[in-house]
Amino acid sequence: MIELATLLSALRERFAAAVEAAADERALDEVRVAYLGRNGEVTTIRRSIGKLPPERRPGAGKEINDAVAVMEALLQERHAQLEARDVEASLEQRIDVTFLGTPPQFGSLHPVRRVIEDACGYFERHGFAVVLGPEVEPDYYNFDALNIPPEHPAREGFDSFWVNDSLLLRPHTSPMQIRTMQLHPPPVAIVAPGRCYRRDAVDARHLFQFHQIEGLLVASGVHFGHLKGMLTGLCRTLFGAYQQVRFRPSFFPFTEPSAEVDTTCPKCGGRASACSMCGGSGWIELGGAGMVHPNVLREVGYDPEVVSGWAFGFGAERLALVRYDVDDVRRFVDGDPDFFEQLA
Amino acid sequence: MRIPISWLREYVDVPAESQAIAERLAMLGFPVAEIVRRPAIENVVVGRISSLERHPNADRLNLCRVDAGADAPLTIVTAATNVAAGQVVPVATIGARLPHLQIERRTMRGIASEGMLCSPDELALPPEWFEADGIMQLDAESTPGEDVVALLGLADDVLDVEITGNRVDAMSVIGLARELAASYRVPLRLPSFENPGRGEPEPLARVALESSDCSHFVLQRFDGLRATLGAARTRVRLALCGVRPINNVVDVSNYVMLETAQPLHVYDATHVAEQRLIVRDARPGERLLTLDGIERRLTPAALVVADEQGALGLAGVMGGAASEVGAQTTAILLEAATFAGARVRRTAQLFGLRTEASTRHEKSLAPALAEIAASRAAQMLLGMGARAYAPVAAGEQATPRAAVSRRRDDVTRLLGITLDDARIAGDLTALGCSVVASDGHLEIGAPAWRNDLAIAADFVEEVARMEGYDAIVAAMPTVASHEISSREYELEAGAARTMCALGYHETITYSLLGARSDNAVELRNPLSEDHRYLRTEIAPALLAQLARLAHPYRLFEIGHVFADEGGLVAETPVLAFAVAVERSGEPPWRDVEFLRCKGDIETLVRVLTGRRPRVERAERRGLHPGKCAALLVDDVPVAAFGRVDPREERAYAAPFALYAGSIRLDRLPEPLVPRYRPPSRYPSTYRDLALSVGAEVSAESVEATTTQAIGDICTAVRVFDEYRGPQVERGRKSLAVRATMRRFDGTITDEEADAAVARAVEALHKRLGATVRV
Repeated sequence: MIELATLLSALRERFAAAVEAAADERALDEVRVAYLGRNGEVTTIRRSIGKLPPERRPGAGKEINDAVAVMEALLQERHAQLEARDVEASLEQRIDVTFLGTPPQFGSLHPVRRVIEDACGYFERHGFAVVLGPEVEPDYYNFDALNIPPEHPAREGFDSFWVNDSLLLRPHTSPMQIRTMQLHPPPVAIVAPGRCYRRDAVDARHLFQFHQIEGLLVASGVHFGHLKGMLTGLCRTLFGAYQQVRFRPSFFPFTEPSAEVDTTCPKCGGRASACSMCGGSGWIELGGAGMVHPNVLREVGYDPEVVSGWAFGFGAERLALVRYDVDDVRRFVDGDPDFFEQLA
Repeated sequence: MRIPISWLREYVDVPAESQAIAERLAMLGFPVAEIVRRPAIENVVVGRISSLERHPNADRLNLCRVDAGADAPLTIVTAATNVAAGQVVPVATIGARLPHLQIERRTMRGIASEGMLCSPDELALPPEWFEADGIMQLDAESTPGEDVVALLGLADDVLDVEITGNRVDAMSVIGLARELAASYRVPLRLPSFENPGRGEPEPLARVALESSDCSHFVLQRFDGLRATLGAARTRVRLALCGVRPINNVVDVSNYVMLETAQPLHVYDATHVAEQRLIVRDARPGERLLTLDGIERRLTPAALVVADEQGALGLAGVMGGAASEVGAQTTAILLEAATFAGARVRRTAQLFGLRTEASTRHEKSLAPALAEIAASRAAQMLLGMGARAYAPVAAGEQATPRAAVSRRRDDVTRLLGITLDDARIAGDLTALGCSVVASDGHLEIGAPAWRNDLAIAADFVEEVARMEGYDAIVAAMPTVASHEISSREYELEAGAARTMCALGYHETITYSLLGARSDNAVELRNPLSEDHRYLRTEIAPALLAQLARLAHPYRLFEIGHVFADEGGLVAETPVLAFAVAVERSGEPPWRDVEFLRCKGDIETLVRVLTGRRPRVERAERRGLHPGKCAALLVDDVPVAAFGRVDPREERAYAAPFALYAGSIRLDRLPEPLVPRYRPPSRYPSTYRDLALSVGAEVSAESVEATTTQAIGDICTAVRVFDEYRGPQVERGRKSLAVRATMRRFDGTITDEEADAAVARAVEALHKRLGATVRV
C-alpha cells in the first residue's frame, strides 16, 4: 500500500491545481465537492484508515485532518480572490446616468403660499404667532377701529366690495390687528396672511383678489428701528442676503409715523437702467408700514403712553412676482401646470 | 400734481438738479412719479412787430419787421394770419433750436427771412389751450430781445409729484418749496400775503353761511377789470401744470390755487344779486348750468354757493355759467372758502365731477389758507390794474391750534434714535412749527396752513422726515412670550404640505363667481356679472381648471367658502381637491381611482388629526350618487368626496374621469397624540376566507363582524379582493378576507385560530348572509 503521506501530498497538489484552475465560484464549488464533499476523495481516503493497524490509525487521522485544513484554507483563499475579482470587474460597469429619472408622484405648493410660508416662518422664528381671520368683515374692523371713521377720504382709497351697509370683503388684512389686540393684552406679536379684495380691474399687475401679509408688534419699548430691522431681515429671507431696504415717509390713517417700504431690485441689483422689474429705479415698492396710531391702540384698550408698536402690510402676489420674476399676476390664478412645475 | 421746477425755484434756491430734487422729495414723502423732460428750445427771444406788409411775391405770406433787441430790426417772412403790427411775439432767431426744427437763414420767394415767429405748438405747448390759429402772443410790456425760454420756463423740467391725502397744503408750489427749503435748510422766499384791500372802507360784498359744511369764507370785490388774454408766463405755467388758461382773471385764481393749494372762485359781480353770497344746501329740483355747459338738477345733498335768486355754483367743485367771468366782466367777487371735505366729495360724486378745486377741498384745507390765497390773488389783480375792496370773512376765524405739550423722549420712544432739544426744535421750526422747551416738556405749535399735525406722533414723523428715515437705525426686537396661537395657520400649512406630498398641485381660483348657487352671498357693487357672488364651494372652479388641460392632473386649493344664512354671512375654511385621470374600462361595481382618492383623503385627515376617519356612503350635489362617500371624525362629518356626477362631467367637456372632494378645516379636531403599543413577542398567524355575500354587503361590515367574532386575539381583518362574474351567483359577490391573529402571552395555536375563524364564519352567515365558498 502506498504511504498515506504520499497519497495526501499528491491529493493536495491535484487539489491546489484544481482550485487554481477554477474560474468562478461555481467551478470552485465543484472542486470542493469532488475533494471535500460527502463522497469526495478525502472521504474515500478517510474510509481506508480502517485497513491500517490500530496503532497507526490516530496518526493517520491527524494527517488527514491537517491536509483538509490546508485544502480548506486554499479554498478560502481562492474564494476571496474570485470575489475580489468580481468586485473589480463590476467597477467597469457604465450606465447612462442622464437617462430620465423615474418621476415620483409629487405635487407643488402655490408660489404665493411659498412666499407666505417663508415670510411667516421668518417671523415665527422671531417669536411671532401666525393668525388667520375672516374675509367678510364689518366696516368696524376694516375702518372705524383703524382710525378711519365714516366719511374719511381714505375709505375710498380702499375701493371695496360691499355685501350690505356694514359688511364688506376686507380690502386689507389690518382687521386682524384689531381682532388680535382685542383678544390678547400686550405684548402682541403676529403676522396675519390672507386673502383680500379690491375693486381693481384685472390686468397684468392687478387682480380683484390678492393676498396680504400683515405684521404687528406691540409691546413696551417697541420703536421704528425694530420695524426696520425686522423688515430688512424679511427681505433678506425672501430675496437674498444682500438686500437693502429703504423707508420713505407716507401716510396711512392707522400708523404715525408712516412709511412706504422699498427693497433693492433683486433682478438688476439696482444697476440696470432698463430693468423690466424696477423700471430702472433700482427699487421695488413692497407696501406700507409705520408705528401704530395711538387712536388704534386706544380703541383696543391699550395705553399708547405705555406701549408702542409697529405694523406693516405687504402684498404676497407682489412679493411672489418679484421673487420668481413672474411677468403677469394673472398667471397666479391660471392653474397652468407648466407655471406650477417651473416654480416648484 | 405737475410742478415746473422753474416755478419752485422762484421761491427756493435748491442747490440741486431735478433728479436730485425728485429723490429728495421722495424721501420727504412726496414721490415723483415722473420727471417730464421738456424738449430743448434755444435762441427764442421776445420780438415786437414794428410793421407788417404783404410779401411782394406771395399772397399768403407777410413780411414783418421785428424788433428783437438787436441793433437793426429783423425781416421775417411768415404765413401766420393772426399777426399785426404792435404785437409782441416769440421769435426764433437764426440758429435757434425748436423741438422739431432748427432755424436757418432761408429765402422765401426771393426774400431772406431772418428768423421765424413761433406758434405755441412750435414751443411744445398745447395749441388747443393757446393761440390755436397761429403765433403765440406775449405780454405787451416784455422787453425785445429777452430770452423767451428762460422768461417762460419753456425748457425746464416738470415734476409729477404724488401728494398723500393728509398733505393737501403740499398740493401747491409754495407747499413743496417750503418742504425743500426746510430739508435743504435754505431760505424760503414767499410773495407778499398782505391784502391790499385791507384798510379800504367799503367791502361792498357780503356772505351768509347757512350750512355748517362751510367753516370759513373770505369774499372780496374787485373793480376796474377787463377780461383779456392772461399773461404769457401765467398761461405757460398753468399749462405745464395741466390747467387750461381761460382769461387773465380766471388764470389768476387758478395760478394762486396752484401756488397755495387754496382753490379760488371768481364771480362776475354784475350777476350776483345784491353782492351777497349764501352757502347752503341745494333746494330740491333746483337747476344749475355749470361751467362745463351741463345743466344739473340739484338735490339737498349738494352744497351750493348761491345768491338770493338761486344757485351760482357747486361749492368747492365747479362754478355756474351765469356768473362766469368773460369779455363783458369789469367787476368780480373773489371767493376763498373752507368747505368740509366730506361734503365736497359727496357733492362731486353726486355729479360724477372731479376738478382741481374738488380734489383739494375734499381733503379739508386749513382755514388760514383762505386768507393767504385771497391776499395773493388781490396782489396779482392789483398788478393788472384792478381796484380792491375790503375783504369780508364769515365763519370761524382761523385760530391757531393749541400747542401740544409733549414728553421730551417721544422721538426716542417711537424712532429709537436720540436727538437733543435744539435739534428737534430746529427740525420743527424749519417746517413752520413753533417750539418752546420747558422743564421736561416741549410745547409744539403747528403752522396755520397745516391741519394734519395734532398729536405727538405727528410731530415725531415731522422730525423723522427732516432727519431722513435713513437716519433711523435698524435693530432687532426681542419679542416677549405670549399666548397667541398659530393653530389655524399650522393646520392649513400642514394640509398643504400633505396634499403636495400626495401628488396634488396647489392652485388659486377666484372667490367671486358669476353663477348663483343656493345661499350665495351677493355683492352690492360687483366689478362685473362674472364676479357677482361669493363662492359656496371651490371644487367647480378646480374642475374648470382641470378641464382646460390636455393631461391628467391633481389640483387642490385652500380657501374660504361663504353662505348667506338669514342675512348673516357664514364663512368656512375648506380644502378642496379635484382629480382628472384617464377613463378606465372597469366593471360598474369597481372604481380604483375612487379608492385612490379615498386613500389620499383618509391619509390627509389622519395626518392632520391623528385619527382614522370613518367612511360611509353619502350623497352630495355634483357627485355621482353611487360613488360618493363622507368621512367622519368622532361622528362629525369632516369631508366628502367622490366621482363627479357624469351629467356634470359632460359639462366640463374634459376627456378625463373627474373626481372631487372637500374637507372642512374648521371641523378637524385638535390632533391626537398617538400612543405606542409594543408588538407581541410571539408570532402571529392568519387565515384567509373566500366568502360569498350579497352585492350590497359592505366590506366594512364584513371586517367589523369578523373582528368582533374573533375577539381579543384579532390583529387585523382586511377584505382584500372583490369579484363578481360568471362563477358568482347574480346579486352576490365574492370577497377574499384575511384575518390576522396573535397572543401576547404565548404563541397562538392552530386550534385557537381555527376556532376563532369558525366563530367568524358563523357570525358572518347569521348577520350578513355570507357563505364560505369552496
